[in-house]
Amino acid sequence: MTIFSADPALAPYLALILFGFLPSEIWRVLGVAISHGLDEESELFRFVRSVAAVLLVGVVVKIVVLPSREMAAAPPWTRVVAFAVAGAAFFAFRRSVFAAVAAGVATIVLAVWLMGR
Amino acid sequence: MRTDAEGAGPLVEDWSWPWFFTGVRRALAGPAFYVAIALMGVGSLARAAGFPVGVAALSTLLVWAGPGQLLFFGAALAKTAPPAIAFAVSLSSVRLLPMCLSVLPMLRGRRTRLPVLLFAAHFIAVTVWAESLRRLPDLERPARLPYFFGVALTCMGLTTLSTAAGFWMTGTLPRPLGAGMMMLSPIYFLATTARAARSGVDWLAILFGAVLAPFAIRFIGGGFDLPVLALVGGGGAWLAGFLARRAA
Repeated sequence: MTIFSADPALAPYLALILFGFLPSEIWRVLGVAISHGLDEESELFRFVRSVAAVLLVGVVVKIVVLPSREMAAAPPWTRVVAFAVAGAAFFAFRRSVFAAVAAGVATIVLAVWLMGR
Repeated sequence: MRTDAEGAGPLVEDWSWPWFFTGVRRALAGPAFYVAIALMGVGSLARAAGFPVGVAALSTLLVWAGPGQLLFFGAALAKTAPPAIAFAVSLSSVRLLPMCLSVLPMLRGRRTRLPVLLFAAHFIAVTVWAESLRRLPDLERPARLPYFFGVALTCMGLTTLSTAAGFWMTGTLPRPLGAGMMMLSPIYFLATTARAARSGVDWLAILFGAVLAPFAIRFIGGGFDLPVLALVGGGGAWLAGFLARRAA
């Protein structure tokens, strides 16, 4: 929060607009601008899609390994197990996102609850 | 794209409230709750990073891209330099471009105005995008825009409330539920990405990301671990696909 707290009240909102909203929204505006006659099968878009997928996985990994207060209750191995269970449920239920989320979250809740007893 | 010099006529022609409410009902039958629950974690992460609840809720209204929001608050929590945060958020939202490109042509009529398209584009993120791809092709063209906004506004409205709820609930939740909520978004995003995977290259990208991410986070500093990871891993996956296509 160092740079964000220059002005206690407004700085966080300004930070959100400058470093969250604008960098994100630019791609939507660009999408509107060039949505005429652009080939989605071009190599540039294949490349961009791969980059986006890897980045999203990177975000997921970073969130999971990030030391946060809530996450501290769940040792790293339980998080790995939760992802394994979520993945198994995902494929068992014919690539169901709901099954993955339900199974993964249930695993973590159960693990933390059992260890806290 | 029509630019209306006269400024005459309604902003949206053929607006249909019945189709709008069809969209609202469709969103309330699943997707809206889904993204709302998934983004509660953004609220708790925002709190962990020391932001006020208004910023957490506003991030849903303005950014409306889960990974970007998680990245923003996660990077702030890790005390990443602001330019690196902006760069990482922007890179994580590159995927919005192809999403917009695949939805907007379905929404656009011959007389749809630029402000309407810009407003519609703002709602395009994984949930609304997936819902649009699934339903819009079956609808008559005049029904599409009202239906789209019904889905989109419902998803965003409910999620804005849930982001704030997630912020307030973090401290009060029993520890097992708190840990479960922190895991919800990561699993949701990974599962949605896997759900959208269409080719071997998409799966390769997911695999590269999972394998390389721990090394990138461990060895690349300054907040540039994710951008470097994405360019190297994504570039590798793309190159593998490119070479495979050329060999075929």
